[in-house]
Amino acid sequence: MISKVVSVARWEYLEKVKSKAFLIGLFLTPVLMVGMGVVPTLLITQADTRTKVIGVIDPSGVIVAPLGDLVNARYRLADGRPNYVIRPLAVGPGVDVQSAAAEADRQTGAGDIEGYCLLGPSPDADSAVEYRSKSVGDIQLVENLQQAIRIVLSERKGLSMGLDTSVIRALNVKVDMKQVKLSKTGEKEDSGFLQVFFTAYVFLFMLFLLIVTSGQLLVRSILEEKSNRIVEVLVSSCSSTELMAGKVLGLSALGFTQIGFWALMGAIASLSFGITFVTPGIAALLIIYFVLGYLFYAAVFIGAGSPLTTEQEAQQVTSYLVMILILPIALAFPAMQNPDATWLRVLTFIPFLTPTMMALRIPIQMPSPWEILATMLLMVVSIFFAMVAAGRIFRIAILSTGKSPKLAEIFRWAKEG
Amino acid sequence: MLNVTGLRKEFAAVVAVDGVSFEAGNGEVFGLLGPNGAGKTTTIRMILNILVPDGGTVTYDGKPFSDEVRNRIGYLPEERGLYRKSKLLDTIVYFAGLRGMKRAAAKAEAMRWLTRFSLEAFRERKVEELSKGNQQKVQFVCAILHDPSIVILDEPFSGLDPVNQILFKDIFHELRAAGKTIVFSTHQMDQAERLSDTLCLINRGRVVLGGTVRDVKRRYGTNSLHVEFSGDGAFMNELPGVRRALLYGNAAELDLEPGAKVQTLIGTMNGKIDITKFALVEPSLQSIFIQAVGDSNAAAPAPVETS
Repeated sequence: MISKVVSVARWEYLEKVKSKAFLIGLFLTPVLMVGMGVVPTLLITQADTRTKVIGVIDPSGVIVAPLGDLVNARYRLADGRPNYVIRPLAVGPGVDVQSAAAEADRQTGAGDIEGYCLLGPSPDADSAVEYRSKSVGDIQLVENLQQAIRIVLSERKGLSMGLDTSVIRALNVKVDMKQVKLSKTGEKEDSGFLQVFFTAYVFLFMLFLLIVTSGQLLVRSILEEKSNRIVEVLVSSCSSTELMAGKVLGLSALGFTQIGFWALMGAIASLSFGITFVTPGIAALLIIYFVLGYLFYAAVFIGAGSPLTTEQEAQQVTSYLVMILILPIALAFPAMQNPDATWLRVLTFIPFLTPTMMALRIPIQMPSPWEILATMLLMVVSIFFAMVAAGRIFRIAILSTGKSPKLAEIFRWAKEG
Repeated sequence: MLNVTGLRKEFAAVVAVDGVSFEAGNGEVFGLLGPNGAGKTTTIRMILNILVPDGGTVTYDGKPFSDEVRNRIGYLPEERGLYRKSKLLDTIVYFAGLRGMKRAAAKAEAMRWLTRFSLEAFRERKVEELSKGNQQKVQFVCAILHDPSIVILDEPFSGLDPVNQILFKDIFHELRAAGKTIVFSTHQMDQAERLSDTLCLINRGRVVLGGTVRDVKRRYGTNSLHVEFSGDGAFMNELPGVRRALLYGNAAELDLEPGAKVQTLIGTMNGKIDITKFALVEPSLQSIFIQAVGDSNAAAPAPVETS
């Protein structure tokens, strides 16, 4: 009895572990994750390596000189060269702003300057400033420039009010804001928005790919067994319960291989680059949800996959399941902004979404203990019922060939067995 | 020993198998015969517990189906029941393991059989790289590797060349000598006649006739006249005293009415064709079965469609 289950599990595991689809998923997924998450993050936060020239059109003629000095003093590249150079384009009352701007547009287009600032004629009264450039995505530059202009203007205001220059300088503190995420218990966790977002995304995507790759492998092998009548040899050798138990076991071993491999890679990456994605506690919790989600979807894939007879149908059914699985990825952004939202909690209690929703929510903000316990319990119960239903469908469906049964028929099998 | 009693199976208002009974003893090659769609495969699936019968019983050495029985049955399905992408040796060892065999023993036995079938060089190859005939051999190995006492083979000779047919036949005889029960289905009557000790003809889900080959021939054994000739033998069906003529080009088997005079017949034919040889013989199974199937169709003309 047990030995036959082990035989099936061993076969399912070894045959799938050697398959190209599995190996590609195993190695490509982490690469993809790094590609999707880390690289853009690095690019955004990367420090400049060259001096950027910024043009200024200043009809008042009073801003450009102090701005140039300030920027030169304040922002430096890592090697000590100035980060920005302010180039006066048209300065002083009476300049033709229109033609100067046209000329500046041309220089920006040609790449002579990074972009240019268009100041107003009376900046002390109206501090509206325009920055024009080819790319508006250089967040760092815009922020620095804005701060510099603000300092120049406030210095002018302070002087006109009779304050001492040193007093004004002392008032203009440079603030470097670093984001710190607090957990429920108030512990500090060093992580910025991007890191949290990235972490949540990575775990969600890993869970998604894990379930989809092995689910597809499972459905494909059941299809082959049905179309080649291998299934007749199988069910005459062992009972359908043994067969399904073996398949689930083999598939689980496959999933753990994948999770284990990724966890190892993650640990190596953490140790060698000093990046910590999550604390060990969170990692353990996530792994529990991975396992629960994996088992639940194994049953779903068996129940949904075994009645199928053609590859096309299999693709269709898989794509529906993919849509359900990918839903939390679409919700990642709103979940970041409002991790306490009721709708997030409600969605977490739908068994099809529980694992992925938790993979999304846990790195953002740890859900309360009762939610964790309740969802785990929910998953265990759901897995039990899903397995029973899948077993009933499997027993009948694997021997049915010809046209696929109707949905109503499949539900009847699941209910009555 | 395999006992089948009153087996019945319906598929959506169509009766595929209707009260089939037979017995295949130890050390016996049993042929399950019938035209395409007669219900042979459905019967076999019920014997293997793949399908649950709507009526009737099957016993294996006197016992009902159980997990223990599973390990004592060997099965070769009609279509290629092998994983296309998997390696030969792995597949065989896996299937033997499912029948309760230890891996090491299964591996050793598998190598022995692969060598006998001249497939040892292919052991690490994928099944899909093999020809159809070689795949059939692998399936045969899977069916007998675990030394089952009951071997069930659905159309084992499809896709086999004559040399390998002889190899299969030799193994049939070895299994029979070892006291195994061998049940095989076929729609080729000449094969059944050469191989089986006992047989059973199914048509439209019913047993039309059964018994040992000798019994069947004796029971249906009106005389037959075997004639070899050159010329056009089409007229033979119209000859007086001939119930039916089976024409095979240069030879014919004439099913004679009782009391028909052979000399008169030969005399009549001699003027129209060149007779090179003639003999009074037992009827072939082919001729008996064509008659039996024809009779049963005439008695129950309702068309039956099964898989």
